[in-house]
Amino acid sequence: MELAGKKKKSKAGKIVLWVVLIAVAVIQIFPLVWLVDFSLASSTEMFTSGLLIIPQKIQWGNYVKAFVDGHFLLYLKNSILINGLAVVLVILVSIMTAFACRRMQWKLSGLVKTLLLMGMMIPIHATLLPNYKIYSQLGLTDTIWALLIPYVAFSLPQGLFLMTSFLESIPVELEEAAVMDGCGIYRIIFQIITPMLKSSIATVAIMTFLNNWNEFMMASTYLSSQKWKTLPFSVLEFTGQYSSNYAVQFAVMALTAAPAVIVYILLNKHITKGAAMGAVKG
Amino acid sequence: MKRKVVAAGMAAMMAFSVMAGTGATIVKADDEVTLKVFSNLPDRKNGQGLVEQMIIDDYMEENPNVTIEVEALDEEAYKTKFKAYSMEGMPDVVSIWGQPAFLDEVLDAGVLAELNQDDYKDYGFISGSLDGFMKDGKLYGLPRNTDVAGFYYNQKMFEDNGWEVPTTYDELLTLAGEIKDKDIVPLAMDGGDGWPMAVYLSDILFKLTGSDYSDVVSNAISTGDFSDENLKKATELLKESADAGLFQNGYDSQDYGTAMNLFTNGQAAMFYMGSWEASMALNEDIPEEIRTNIRVFTMPVIDGGKGTATDIAAWNGGGYAVSADSEVKEEAVKFLNYMYQPDKLSKYGWENGVGMSAQDQSAYMTGDETELQMQFVDAVNNATSVSGTPINDCGPSAFKTSIESEIQSVSNGSISVDDFLAAIGEACK
Amino acid sequence: MKKLYSNKLVIFSLVLPGLLLFFFAILAPICLSVYYGFTEYSGMGTATFIGMENYKKLMTDKAFWMSMRNSLLLAIGFICIQHPLAMITAAILDKLGGRGEGFFRCVYFIPNVISVAVIAYLWKFIYNPDFGLLNNIIKAFGGKGDINWFSTDNAIWSVLIVLIWHGFGWGMLIYYTGIKNIDPVLYEAAAIDGADQKTTFLKITLPLMKPVIQVNVTMAVISALKQMETVYLLTNGGPGNSTQFAANYLYQQAFKAFKYGYGNAIGVVFIIICLITTVVLNKIFEERDDRPAKAKRRKGAA
Repeated sequence: MELAGKKKKSKAGKIVLWVVLIAVAVIQIFPLVWLVDFSLASSTEMFTSGLLIIPQKIQWGNYVKAFVDGHFLLYLKNSILINGLAVVLVILVSIMTAFACRRMQWKLSGLVKTLLLMGMMIPIHATLLPNYKIYSQLGLTDTIWALLIPYVAFSLPQGLFLMTSFLESIPVELEEAAVMDGCGIYRIIFQIITPMLKSSIATVAIMTFLNNWNEFMMASTYLSSQKWKTLPFSVLEFTGQYSSNYAVQFAVMALTAAPAVIVYILLNKHITKGAAMGAVKG
Repeated sequence: MKRKVVAAGMAAMMAFSVMAGTGATIVKADDEVTLKVFSNLPDRKNGQGLVEQMIIDDYMEENPNVTIEVEALDEEAYKTKFKAYSMEGMPDVVSIWGQPAFLDEVLDAGVLAELNQDDYKDYGFISGSLDGFMKDGKLYGLPRNTDVAGFYYNQKMFEDNGWEVPTTYDELLTLAGEIKDKDIVPLAMDGGDGWPMAVYLSDILFKLTGSDYSDVVSNAISTGDFSDENLKKATELLKESADAGLFQNGYDSQDYGTAMNLFTNGQAAMFYMGSWEASMALNEDIPEEIRTNIRVFTMPVIDGGKGTATDIAAWNGGGYAVSADSEVKEEAVKFLNYMYQPDKLSKYGWENGVGMSAQDQSAYMTGDETELQMQFVDAVNNATSVSGTPINDCGPSAFKTSIESEIQSVSNGSISVDDFLAAIGEACK
Repeated sequence: MKKLYSNKLVIFSLVLPGLLLFFFAILAPICLSVYYGFTEYSGMGTATFIGMENYKKLMTDKAFWMSMRNSLLLAIGFICIQHPLAMITAAILDKLGGRGEGFFRCVYFIPNVISVAVIAYLWKFIYNPDFGLLNNIIKAFGGKGDINWFSTDNAIWSVLIVLIWHGFGWGMLIYYTGIKNIDPVLYEAAAIDGADQKTTFLKITLPLMKPVIQVNVTMAVISALKQMETVYLLTNGGPGNSTQFAANYLYQQAFKAFKYGYGNAIGVVFIIICLITTVVLNKIFEERDDRPAKAKRRKGAA
């Protein structure tokens, strides 16, 4: 009797669980569904009091306009290139610095590490004004460097932090053996240590990507021509360009969001694992 | 699995870097010139932006060695970035506004090139239209339009409901009540940006002060004392109108596009904006039954005010200039002059339903003009006087920033009228 | 080995890129900011040295204090609304198991990977008082649905909702990972003792999650201080200055009001506030952590 009651209760509990989880999921996802829905309608259909609509005619043309006039491919390419390079550089520099500060023996190692980690506390937007001056003096505005330098610099502290903590878990004995075999430091770092840091490299890569992929404040301040503009620009440019056509604006928003969402859904297990590792440690 | 993903990622990245590499290696001949144009007209397919783009295309066709790159942002973003540029070097040809708030600091810094006034004798500029672009007798830019502020309204909606165009401000507020009763927004206002409301305030002020307008404004700005009774009354009227529900719900946070879309989608009966939006009548993104029914009236008279119905808020605002440190200044000036050849900006603008240029346009009247265009032409032709620069653009840029932000607070009642006047006065000092 | 590992040249070559980046992208701009903070400078022409004037002015600048108040509100909102919700959801999700667990975890995180530019514009539409989704939902439930979400009083809360929504997946994920790291043996023991789910959560999960909560709280406070992009696009600090944030304000002052010197002064104060906040938070949490550890040690010694 008692057992049956408990079972019933746990079944009711399960239902409550599901209801809560589904409710949260709806809140998180519905705005996006709404976005996609209206991106397929025509502009005038926006002004309804219904929540979702069935477009009278599905307007694929909205996406064509968004794709072409939003310079989607160019901006996507720029985004991937800049973020890809930033990731590679952050990983490279953070492994090198982490190794030097953690394993090598020199007096200032602690100081240098603290100094670099301080970067984590500096609000990135406080450097917008002075950096603008510096980059324009050096002729770096409107070049890839204007984004790459701050992206790498501001992701480096986190990368360094993660790398040092992972490095600690690798036994020194491995390196000792390598030294016996006559390996130099660089070979130790890149041929022995780096492969062992695989999972932390993935974590750093994911964190750096998440940090920078959506950045646009610096991009909109330092860039002017289309050459290096990144994906978030599509949206910014479009709201002016198609100010009287909401549906196309919705299409460009959906399109801009798409690459990251698709990649995330495909790789979600790896990404959540990596991000969780980075977040908990960092 | 993991390895595959990584490999695919690497391959993709390499492919992209190759693409990027080939993009960068275009070899240019010696006489190739690249002109960078920085524009405040992001919509390149309608209205003024289309006109600008048409001229650019014409120019590139006639001068195959010239490539023109356009960077276009909407007004707020444009002005911010313009200021950033003016600190560290400009694109070659830029949009400017012939108004103290925009131009004073820019000219002080010497970032714009001086133009030769004699070049423009035969360009038919309306008298006085160049004044805002001059400093110490030297010319630094050319005006693009004659701007008139007005109430666009949906004629069909007015007729269907038996509404009349108001002739006094009280009638306007009564009308707003009637429109609201039908669940329609009376007047769509871009209050999020601040400047359209400042123009509205100037419009009211002009109706109150009549010809004293520019004295009142310049006195207040030079002394920082905004306690003049007309200024106070104008602000109170603005607040009263907001309280009476003249503007849409949430007007103080909605941007240009949102306000305009309320009107062009039949959600609002009126829309307060400048004559540059007259091209709405030809914009195919707007449903036909609405765009063919757009008409306009100017600010109605106010009880006890000195301004008459034909004293209208109008000014020569936007225009173009050439950067002083441009490496291709000659070509830039050549392009600038090309734009202002009478059969370019004026003619194309006219044909595309964009308000009025700052040049004599009478030669291009075709009889095919939209009614909306003709209404603006009539308003200007019948005007007994024009206001000149709106108040927010008359002072230093700190004043502009302040009034455009505080005007939101005063209209929605979060600060008092006196505090508002004190705050904007403070910004002048 | 020792010789190899203390080769100065090698060390130098390894830390050089990192240091260069730090000096060039972080330290140099900060120094420049400090310099310009002492000047009256429009950004063009020459800068005149005016000593502490900018800082004096800043102390009485209402908009700046408004931005500090907003950061505080935001931090409180994160800690009191977002985090409890995220933690409870994480705890529930942990119980679910199976395919559903992975599915929900994936769904919750999706808004996080979308650009702020898209999110801000999307929510502008959602909040639109005339045809926005939110008022339409209220209408669908029989309400009047004419709320002005961006009125002076509402705006900061509307911004807060967007930020909570956008960052929810991230907070959830961290708590979720924290919960997963708890030794299941503890739960089994609790079950044997006959503890119900509520007690288990309060007596086991919560205390063990303390370090995770501390990390999350620190991050919440810092991100509330650093907030800029969403606000820049959503309200740009308006109406009035009711949703102003420090980063947005310094940007406006420098690039809109032509007060580059003043903007930099704001930047300097902003950096100092961020540094102090981080250090203070770390100190607070360190002490808390130390106390039980010390107590234990003392016990051990006795």
